[in-house]
Amino acid sequence: MYGGDEVSAIVIDLGSHTCKAGYAGEDAPKAVFPSVVGSIDHIEANNDVKSEKESESASDSKNGVKPLDSDKPKAKRKLYVGSQALGYRRDHMEVISPIKDGVVVDWDIVDNIWDHAFRERLLIDPKEHPMLLAEPSCNTPQQRERAAELMFENYKVPALFLAKNAVLTSFASGRATSLVVDSGGGSTTVTAVHDGYVLQKAAAKSPIGGEFLTECMMKSLESKGIVLKPRYSFKRREIRSGEFQTIDLDFPNTTESYKLYSQRVIASDVKECVCRVPDTAFDETAYANVPMTSYELPDGQTIEIGADRFKIPDVLFNPSLAQMILGMESFADSAAPVRGLPQMVIESINKCDVDIRRELFSSILLAGGTASMQQLKERLEKELMEEAPQAARVKVLASGNSIERRFSVWIGGSILASLGSFQQMWFSKAEYEEHGVSYIQRKCP
Amino acid sequence: MDAKDILGLPKNSFPTAQEKKPRPSKDSQRKPDGVSREVYALIGGMAPLMPSIEVSHLKKRPNSEKEKITWQWLPFTSSARTDSLQLYHWVRVVNGVPPTGDYSFAKYNKSVDVLRYTDEEYEKHLIDPMWSKEETDQLFDLCERFDLRFIVIADRFPSSRSVEELKSRYYSVTRSLLIARAPSASDVSGHPLVKEPYNMVHEIERKCALSAVLSQTKQQERRDAEILAEAKRIMESRMASKSAEDAEMPLNPTGNETEKATAPAESVSPSTNIHPSSSTAAPATATTESASTPASLRMLRVYLRTHVLDQMVQAASSTAGLRTIKRVDQTLQDLGVHVKPKVPTKAVCAEHLELRKEILTLLNLQKQLQNKEAEASANRDSSYAEAPSTPKRTYRGDVDRAFVPDSVGFGGERVGKRDHKRKASGRFIDAPPSPPQSKRPRKLKASD
Repeated sequence: MYGGDEVSAIVIDLGSHTCKAGYAGEDAPKAVFPSVVGSIDHIEANNDVKSEKESESASDSKNGVKPLDSDKPKAKRKLYVGSQALGYRRDHMEVISPIKDGVVVDWDIVDNIWDHAFRERLLIDPKEHPMLLAEPSCNTPQQRERAAELMFENYKVPALFLAKNAVLTSFASGRATSLVVDSGGGSTTVTAVHDGYVLQKAAAKSPIGGEFLTECMMKSLESKGIVLKPRYSFKRREIRSGEFQTIDLDFPNTTESYKLYSQRVIASDVKECVCRVPDTAFDETAYANVPMTSYELPDGQTIEIGADRFKIPDVLFNPSLAQMILGMESFADSAAPVRGLPQMVIESINKCDVDIRRELFSSILLAGGTASMQQLKERLEKELMEEAPQAARVKVLASGNSIERRFSVWIGGSILASLGSFQQMWFSKAEYEEHGVSYIQRKCP
Repeated sequence: MDAKDILGLPKNSFPTAQEKKPRPSKDSQRKPDGVSREVYALIGGMAPLMPSIEVSHLKKRPNSEKEKITWQWLPFTSSARTDSLQLYHWVRVVNGVPPTGDYSFAKYNKSVDVLRYTDEEYEKHLIDPMWSKEETDQLFDLCERFDLRFIVIADRFPSSRSVEELKSRYYSVTRSLLIARAPSASDVSGHPLVKEPYNMVHEIERKCALSAVLSQTKQQERRDAEILAEAKRIMESRMASKSAEDAEMPLNPTGNETEKATAPAESVSPSTNIHPSSSTAAPATATTESASTPASLRMLRVYLRTHVLDQMVQAASSTAGLRTIKRVDQTLQDLGVHVKPKVPTKAVCAEHLELRKEILTLLNLQKQLQNKEAEASANRDSSYAEAPSTPKRTYRGDVDRAFVPDSVGFGGERVGKRDHKRKASGRFIDAPPSPPQSKRPRKLKASD
């Protein structure tokens, strides 16, 4: 076929929204779970010294500040990883994410996530399997070294490779040169890949991702007076056949972050079911009379969503729309001016060398969870054809299957790790011990 | 037979001969032994619908007892790796002997061999004011890592140098090294790098041009196209007015030159090459009434008026068919006018031409009048023409061909009338056989 040789490698893609893990050579990851964890801080009274240290760092952690250095005494906390563990409401459980702005800030949580993936989901012993990790395209060298250290020291893997997300997406579609538009949970990144290598100077990033759109949806629903009741806060009892009565339950010890998290789950489901990218730029007056779609919330109430269906996805193309949603005005204050998707694509291509621009225009790939929104591909193609030069033929490619679009980074990793000619590129334990962790910069370009 | 027994009738002799025949044939039919007679009769005495599978036709099981093949999960090493990492994979083991030899994918580990220089060589040949030694070292290091992918190298290079600069430095260093290391000049003169050195200026210009092409957005293209179309229209209107002024005198070539001179002055767009050719083509094809002077005439300085007249006549009647021309001549004769004027002066020729044109117009109008009358009569007759349609339809296939033989003239006429009706009502429908139909009524009327 393509020269495959399976060595039973494991591919892990830790995104800002979900973590995907599975065996190389397969066409979908086996373990997909949210990459946020629930944590309950235990303050134990074993040793005085220890407890003092713990209480200090526990109070630190309550403020949401996590120490980066693993030498400092950490809060003794119990972490709950995985959708099952997160779905069960516990008193005082906070929901924290290890990744902020694409950068890992809490390596302890990452460690726990990997542990959960290996031992509870994939049921493997990491000592026996080479690991392929997917990393963001703009990853700093320190982050890569940290990841490598963690893998080799804690899990004692025999071999490791760090591949960039954009390269993997490109390989998943069978191309060595392409422009990858990765629209995931936390951010949207536009990266150019040439001959299998990322052109770092031509990358463009924007903080608008799936989470941001979910936030917009939530605020919009709240402004209309719809209350999203989290799933744990009510129970439904069948009075007569087919009719249900909703009874509110009260759990005073639930944390705010958990409540927000549960509400976000519901809002993101609304967004995924109902939202569509409009064919032209969103206009308040034009869409004022659009027919409403109804959606039934888990607690039984049915809501009608009209213009928001089109307004929220259009934020990707026109970020200033977000300010018009009540509750989101603070967005404008954030640092850099945010550009829409077509502008990012054009900017990125113009930063590349002239010789490859034509090729980049004709192979624009869409990847990520947010990219599986309906009509996104057509709208992007249309907008780009307006802005792009006549001589270049614009072609936006996206796999028809939404599963493939969501997991295209993981699938690319699966393909790469099972190629025969890749087996010479692993960064092995022996090399790590001989040259040190900074050798990874050379080995994994 | 049993019924006849019951009734007491004698058995006939004549079916006995028949009984004997079907019986042997029935015996011969009853080939399959596994099928009972009744079942066979039920299925109609035919062979089974699905062919039975012949064992001899199936593929033999390959390699039945020759070798014992198992698949085992075994460690392997690859010569492409510098360390001794052992990974595991599935291996096809034949008779308990695992395969020997290097990893089969190790042969794909190809890389470009980049020349490395020593410090003395650098001091002697390779010093360049624009490049420091560290930068050159970094460049060569990256070249080796990325196998001369200059775009990626330019991306990863610490200081921002353009791709052309990097390429130029690399190629010049390699070239100097090659020449310096070669024992004599003739050895390396065949090397492509020595023969054609890298031309940085040319590359920069080429890239500028390419970026100019690529940076023209759609709006600009549209505007350019609009300007082109506008200019073309202006040229054509100018042509028309100009050729209207000099009616019968052939335009001298100088006229063409003046057109060409004005064309570049007017065209705004950069592609002026298209313009003069289109402007000269325009007047050639412009067929205004008063200025139908063929292009060939303009070339002549001295000519015979009869020759000119012939050309004019041909030009004027080029749109009509041969038949029409004959009819015009016929009409002229009927009117008592010579087909060719006896005394071809300028005035006479002009009048003659006018007359011919008027006759042509008259004939065209007559024809159209006939068509309209025929349609009107067909509409009146429409109630009679509800004959069964299918045989007529099949007839129409013949009608589509050029000539219908006269023997089916009567039916043809009916068909013709039906076609009129079709033409009248179905003018807006896509009726396939339209051109031949339009000829038919004329033929009919001409025979009146």
